[in-house]
This record gives sequence, C-alpha cells and structure tokens, in this order.
Amino acid sequence: MNPSMNPRNARQGARLTDERVSFTFDGQRLTATRGDTAASALLAVDVRLMGRSIKYRRARGVLTAGFEEPNALFAVGDEDSAVPNLPASALAVQPGMIITSQNRWPTLRYDVSALLQLGGGFLGAGFYYKTFIWPSWRTYEGLIRRLAGLGPAPRASKLRQPTVEHLACDVLVAGAGPAGLAAALAAARAGARVVLCERDVACGGELEFETATVDGVACAAWIDTTLKELRARKVQVLTETAVVGGSEGLVIALMQSGGMPASDALYRIRPKSFVMAMGSVERPIAFADNDRPGIMLLGAGERYLTRYGVRVGRQVVLFGNHDRLYAAAARLLGRGVRVAALIDVRGQLRAAGTHALRAELVRSGVNCLLGHGVLGTVGKTALAGVHVAPLPTLTTVHTLACDALLVSGGWSPSLHAGLHEGGAAAYIPQIGSFAAGAQPAWRIGCGAANGKLELAEVLMDGHAAGIAAAHTAGVGADAGPRPVGHGDAAPELEPFWRCPAPLAQEKRQFVDLQNDVTVADLRQAIHEGFVQIEHAKRYTTLGVGTDQGRFSSLLGAAIIGELSGQSPPEVGVFRTRPPYQPVTLMALTGHRLAGYLQPTRRTPLHDWHAAHGGVLESADLWLRPRHYQANGADAFSAGLIEAARVRAHGGIFDGSTLGKIEVAGVDAAAFLDRMYLNRASTLRIGRSKYTVALREDGMVLDDGIVLRLAEDRFLATTSSSHAQLVLSHFEFWRDTEWTGRHVTLTDVTEAWSVIVCAGPRSRSTLQEVLGAEWGTALVELQHMQFTSGLWRNSALRVLRASFSGELAFELHCRPQIALPLWEALAHGAFNPYGLEALDILRVEKGYLTGAELNGQTAPADLGFERLLKADNPCVGRGLLRRPAFSERDRPILVGLRAADGHAKFLGGAQLTTVSDQRCGRGHVTSSVYSPALKEWIGLALLARDLAREGEMVMARDPLHGLETPVRVTATVHFDPSGERMKA
Amino acid sequence: MNRLYCPFCGARELEEFRFHKTLAEPGANAFEEVYARTNRLAVSLEHWQHVDGCRAWLLVRRNPSDGTVLDVRLVAAGDMPLTHESQHESA
Repeated sequence: MNPSMNPRNARQGARLTDERVSFTFDGQRLTATRGDTAASALLAVDVRLMGRSIKYRRARGVLTAGFEEPNALFAVGDEDSAVPNLPASALAVQPGMIITSQNRWPTLRYDVSALLQLGGGFLGAGFYYKTFIWPSWRTYEGLIRRLAGLGPAPRASKLRQPTVEHLACDVLVAGAGPAGLAAALAAARAGARVVLCERDVACGGELEFETATVDGVACAAWIDTTLKELRARKVQVLTETAVVGGSEGLVIALMQSGGMPASDALYRIRPKSFVMAMGSVERPIAFADNDRPGIMLLGAGERYLTRYGVRVGRQVVLFGNHDRLYAAAARLLGRGVRVAALIDVRGQLRAAGTHALRAELVRSGVNCLLGHGVLGTVGKTALAGVHVAPLPTLTTVHTLACDALLVSGGWSPSLHAGLHEGGAAAYIPQIGSFAAGAQPAWRIGCGAANGKLELAEVLMDGHAAGIAAAHTAGVGADAGPRPVGHGDAAPELEPFWRCPAPLAQEKRQFVDLQNDVTVADLRQAIHEGFVQIEHAKRYTTLGVGTDQGRFSSLLGAAIIGELSGQSPPEVGVFRTRPPYQPVTLMALTGHRLAGYLQPTRRTPLHDWHAAHGGVLESADLWLRPRHYQANGADAFSAGLIEAARVRAHGGIFDGSTLGKIEVAGVDAAAFLDRMYLNRASTLRIGRSKYTVALREDGMVLDDGIVLRLAEDRFLATTSSSHAQLVLSHFEFWRDTEWTGRHVTLTDVTEAWSVIVCAGPRSRSTLQEVLGAEWGTALVELQHMQFTSGLWRNSALRVLRASFSGELAFELHCRPQIALPLWEALAHGAFNPYGLEALDILRVEKGYLTGAELNGQTAPADLGFERLLKADNPCVGRGLLRRPAFSERDRPILVGLRAADGHAKFLGGAQLTTVSDQRCGRGHVTSSVYSPALKEWIGLALLARDLAREGEMVMARDPLHGLETPVRVTATVHFDPSGERMKA
Repeated sequence: MNRLYCPFCGARELEEFRFHKTLAEPGANAFEEVYARTNRLAVSLEHWQHVDGCRAWLLVRRNPSDGTVLDVRLVAAGDMPLTHESQHESA
C-alpha cells in the first residue's frame, strides 16, 4: 500500500476536497478524491504502469504533472465514443469515468506487442522507408494499421458543440504565473483592457511551491490580492484556458474543463498586443533506460506531493544539474518523503546557500554525490534502481536501490506562440535553453520567454512587459510600482544533456519519449546526412505529434550538436506547429457544423415540396426538389414521367431561386446595353428579350431574360447559380465606369417568387385560376411579352416565356401569395415537376445551363451569332477577336444522338473520332433520356472541324464503362420550329 | 491581417469580403493582363468586394507575403480592367 495513503485519514493536498470519487481504469474499479487527476489517483493506489510507448511498446509511467505528459495518455469514455490521447496528469477524475490505457494488447501488463522491442534493430529511424517492401507493402498494411498511432479514433462522438466567444482587447496575457500576473496588473493599471488566460485551474504558476515572498507577503496572499485587483479593474481572467495557436493578429484559446474535451469554449481573441508569459517546461536528461515507470520530472514529484498528497516513491533519488535540486530535496524531506540520494552532475557548488543546504541534507542521511551521473536504470515494469558513476570517467559504477527517480535537466521556456509564425528563438547559455528571439512589435515575451527564471527578475520583467504592451495598445497611465519578490536563488545551471554511454546503449537513451526517438536514431540520422534540424526531425519523428518538441526540441538539438560537433545555437530549434496541444476538430469548427456552415435558402414553397414527396437537394445554398416521389422512386424514372406529363398536359415548377436584379435610373437602359451582348434599350415597355452577358475577357458569363418595366426600370434575370456573380459584375461596372451616373441595382431575388406554368393546357389552367379579369390578357399575351395586375390583391406579373419549349407562363408574385397561387394551380390538376424533368425538357430544346455556360465558352461557341450581329460595344467585346477564339478545332456547341438510336451516353464522356482512341476533341456537356424521342440525346462541345451534322464520333466514358458511337445533330432535338411554344 | 477596413463599414472580418482579382502590373497591355501574369513577391493591388456588408467594391493594396493590408479605398472610374481599353481601340 502506498505510504501516502493513511487508511484512516484521506490524503491532504492543495487541490483535493473531501469527496470520494469512483472510476474505472482498464476495467478495474478504483477510488479517487475529488480534485485528483487520473495520474495522481493511480499513483495513490500504487499503479505506476500507465502506458506503453508508441513504437517499442516499452512500459511507461507518468513523467509529468501537467498537460505536457508524453507517456501516460488515456482514452476516456465508452468503447465506441472514447476520446483518445488525454494526458493522465491533466485529466480531472469525474465520478463514473471510464479510463483505458492505450497502445497495448491485450493488457497493459502483459502486452504482446511489446515483442516489438526484440525487433529494435530494425525499427530505428526511417525504418518505414527501408522495410515492409517485399512482396508488397499491402501485405503489412493491416498489421501496421492496428499497431500504429496512439489511441484509436472513436467511432461515435459524444462531444458537444463548443461555445465560441469573440473577444477584442488591448492586451492579452497568456499565462498567470508571476510574470503574467505582474504584466496583467501593470497593463490594467495603465488603463488597458486586459484578458488573462491561464491553462491551469488556479493562477500562480511557479509560485505554487516556491518558498517565496512577493511585496513582503506570502505568495498565496499576493496572488489573491492581485486577482482581486484585476477583477476590480474589469480584467477578464480565464482559467483552464490555454492559448493554442492563431495567426495574423488572431489568437485562439481553448477552455477545456478538467482536461476532458466535452463542452469546450473556443475564444477567438483579437488583442492589440500579446504578452507571452507562459513559463517554461522542465526537461529531462537522456541516459540509458530513462523511460521506466517511476522516473519523473523533479517538479512533477513536488506537485504530486503538494497538490494531491501523493508520495511518488518510498525511496526517491534526485538527479540533475542545478541548485534547485537541493531546495527540492529539502522540501520533500520536510514532508516526509525518503530521499535516498541526490546525484548532481556538476563538479562543485558555487552558491554558499546551496553548500549549506547540501550539508544539511547530508546530515539528514541523503547521499549527495557531486560530479556523478545516472548511467542506466533497472527494473521491469517499474523502477528498481539506478546505476551511478562519476563523470566523465565512469570509473566505478554502483547501483542505488530506489523506486522513484526525479530528474531535472533545466527548464525550456514555452515559446510556441512565438515560434508558430516564424518568430525567432535565441539561445541563453545561462539557462542552457532557447528563449524568445526577435518578435513583431505586438508580441512581447516576459519571464521565462526572455530567459528569466528567478522570481525577482521574473516579476520585474512581467511588469515591464505589461507597460510595454499597454503602450503598444495606445494607453499609458501610471502602472504603479513593480512587485518585488524574493524566491529561490538562481539555479546556477550547467547545461547537461545526456550521460555518456557506449554505442550499444544509445538505442535505449530516449530523447523523445512520446515518439520513441533515441540517441541512436539521431546518430543514424546524422550518419545518413540528415544533420539539419528540420531534416533530422522529420527523419526520426523527433518532436512530432502531440509533443511538438516540448522536451525533445532542445534535447534533440543539443544531442545532434554533440554528435555532429556543433553547439545548440548552431543547430537551432525546429518549427513547432499550432495547436500547441491537441484540440478536437469539434472545438475548432463545431460551431460551423452541418447546417451552421452556411445558411440554407428555402423557397416560399419549400414546406409544400417537403410535404408532397419532393426530394430536395442542395443547389448552391438553395434546397430544390429534384423530383417528386409520387412519380417514381428515383430521379431518373420520376423525371421521365414528370417531363412527359408537361408535354402532354402541363405542369408547374418552382422557379423562385431565379436571380432577379432590378436596374433603375435614367441611365439604366444605356447601362444594360454595356452589360449585355444585345441591346436592352431597344425593348418596349411590357416586352422582354433573351440576353447574354460576357466577362471582361469575352467568355460568356451568364444568360437570362431582361424585362422592361418602365422607361427607366428593368428587371434582369440570371440563372440561379450565377445570381451573385452577375450582381457583383454589374456593381463593379456601376462603381467604376458608371460612377456618378444614374443607375441603381437592387437584388430582388427574394422579393419575387416565380412559378412556371408550362404545357399545352397552361393557358386554360391559368385562366381558371387567375380569374375572369385576366382572361383577355392571357389570350393576347405574345411570346416574350408580360403583363401586370393583381391577384387576390397582391401584385402579379405574368411573363410568357419558356424554358421547356412548351407554351409557358412565368408568374412573378410576392412570396406571401406564392403558396396560395401554387396550391390553386395544383388543385387545377397541374402537377409539379422538379429539376430532373426540367433538365430533360431543356436538353430536348437545346437550351443552355451552367454545363454549357462553363466559363470557358465564348459567344460564337454557343451559337450566339445572331446576338453578336447587333455589334453592341459591350463589356467583353474587345477580346472576342482573340486568335484562340477562331482556331479550327475550338469546341462548338452541337447536339448528339446515339448512332443506333437507343444506346446510352452520359455527360462528361469524352468525344473522339471513331478511329482515334486517345485524342479528346470535345466532351458531352448534358445528356438525358428523352421520353418524347425515346432515346438518349445530348448537348456537347465538339471541335469545330468535326461539328457537322451527321458526323460520327465516339463518346468514350471509362468511368462508367461506356463507349457509344454518336451522331452530331442540331442542338434542338424536339420541335425545332418552336410551334408548341408559340401556340 | 484578419480584418479589412471598409470605407463605409469600418474594420470587418476578412470573411465578409470576397477577393476578385489581382490587378495587372502598371504598364502591362491587354494581352499581358489576360495571358501573362507574373507572380511577383511584391505589394499587390487587388479588387475585393464587401459582399456580406455594403457590397462596395474596394481597391486594396496588400503585401501578400505577410498578409498586411497597406491601403484600402473605393474603386474609382479608372479602375476598369485593361481589356476595356482594347475595346476603345477596336470599336
């Protein structure tokens, strides 16, 4: 039983409450205390083995006491929806939590995949480039998929959509340790609007277990008063919120309660200046077998004790290269932890205070060794002892028994926010680490980010950064006196990266614990030429994944330097990527999921379509019925029935999505003349014409019908998909060439609903529905003419125009009466038809849609010679005489039919000559099965030299396995003279 | 930057705007504007439209290598594409 568990008293810890919480770990029911993390709860019941490493499946325990944990990653939740890769040391235990370890099969203790360790020689750096080749990599794919990666991706998700908050402030301070608190205080006093983010549950950072005073009071008291003052000054303090990334002035912070992605909050913050006070991450030292369960960072050992009342071992050894070891040892002893030895790699101590501390430790029975190092460790699934020898000679090796080893090689400032966008890093020899180098003016580092580790300096630096940040944001009131702190003395660190070892042991000296990268891997990378740090990173996977170089960046750089004869600054650090810690996609984009990504546009008849079996599909942002289920189970068969019915009898179509732009003003007519190939100014009031608009480079932009409502008012219609494009096009020309002239443009797409009533019986049905007062008008209405009036006291415009080739009327009405009008028509035995039928009808008549108006066709390619004759100097005209437009093999619009009168061909098929298999001379743009002609018909763009009526070409469609001989025909397949329309 | 300053609406999120095109270099003729666009690492002049706002067309001077916007103004009469000029010549 763990000595920290007194069966009568519960554990005492700064983060614990009295409540007991039960949870499950790998199927075993355990009890924790409210406030425990999964790691502390497991350590408290003597569970040391918490995971297996990614490649070699080595037994691992928890290394840290925070989010930076590389080893103990757990999956939390039910089997199907378990969220993987959560660091145990940052995961708050909730009642009933189901926790499973990862990377092992069948169990953590008896893991078959641990046999991978035997293949260690074959799994070195870059092994995947050199192995799994014969007979084919696919032979190994299944096995690799099962073994690779960390935790498995869940099949279902219980994650909820995040709340997203947008914050704008003067100063954003990331980190609420001493530097961050000092900076926030200074900035707030200077008059700035401040947002303070802290990833931990409580503010204070390093002040937590430093024996320090600030401004004469104990740390905890200073933190309290500072937070009170910050809140009084309306500073927004966000705890459990970590800055994870951002770019171009935007900073993204993620609030995750209890380290479990469930109902996260995403903050999108736009600060005028950004203070980086994110402290530092303690780093380990590389020595043989430095990854056994029981080996932890020094700070972690202290945190488990003070926060959770957990003693990490019965016999603890400390190992490191700085003075803080001694202070820590004294603190641990003071709380009843048995410290057996303290191994210091430095030859001598410089600070007098440390001398005295050491003497006292020796008196208390701690074996304090100077100039020694840990060469290796023993133990199977838990640490049992360490091999110690003097450095650098390694003459006598003796073994110390212990079950916990607390290692500290120094501290690496957290620089992620300063590095993501290419910020620089500068090496500081005094701390043996990289600090923030040159940053853009709005991003200011302080504290550890500037290489400062001592409390007094940190507070001073934070204060100065707060003032500077406020200045950058444009405020400059008096920031008050800076806080004065007395904390632990300077660490007097001597950089030390790894213990010397024979080559054979280098493959067990771990540099990157999470990715199983060893010194041997780095040596191999250098040997194979990957000396440059970014190459070595990618070749060995050093610092990839969730680690992002927290430990491995500096350690890797230093060891590569050692092996290749460079200093750490010469090697440099590799670029880290946002997010700084894993963020679920749900948190980043969940607020734009499914229906929230884009608005859905519904026509006024939407509910009717849905209620009457209309199968709705997305057309841009609109939902439109493709067909109606009463007519057939699938679009193809329903479309045939609906199209045939329109030609035989009639039907109604919801055309409300049609783009409509009202162009008004004294100069409106002249303006439209500039915008279209043919002149709109020659229209009489009450008439409309088919028009084509060109892009500036001569390509056809869109086609539509323009109605002249009055001398100075036109309604320009566009295809549904091009409405926004044409409007923007018009607006551009209005704002440049036509600026100052009288042209107004109004998008009235949604102001008018359009119902198309088409078919031989359309006129008679309309007469019945619209009533006697419309009778004469309907009879006298000529093709392309329109008339306006009232129906049920609401404005109605009836335009006689046809996209189906039948006698047809477009009814423009206000959305409020669209449904009554539609229902009246439907009652009059007119059935609705959908997009599928619309397509059949228009292809039969050779009318064009986006398939032909694809942005690559010029007017002459589409048969618009008649419109070109108008010789109207419109936009796009000038480039029509490009040589490319008259090349003899440029595609032109033709009609197609199967040579044998019944074979099938589909849109997208490539057209070639009959003999040539490979040279595409065009493609089929649209193809439908025509119920009127009882065969497949289509439209195509075909090279001009082949585009003669009767010419035989091949439609080759390898995607559908079709090869159809087809015959070139006129584009109008049905009723070429247009009699039906003009009835 | 993540914001663009619209002369009518003020500083708005970039998502409210739609990029149309980068203008041809000064001195380019119509052929060069359509067919031969050099992609230089230099400050670019661009047409954007504030589609989710006032729908004004804007001329933006922007440094593409770091995304900073140097200048924004409304389009003016002289901002038409060069292809327009060729229409004056030929028509």
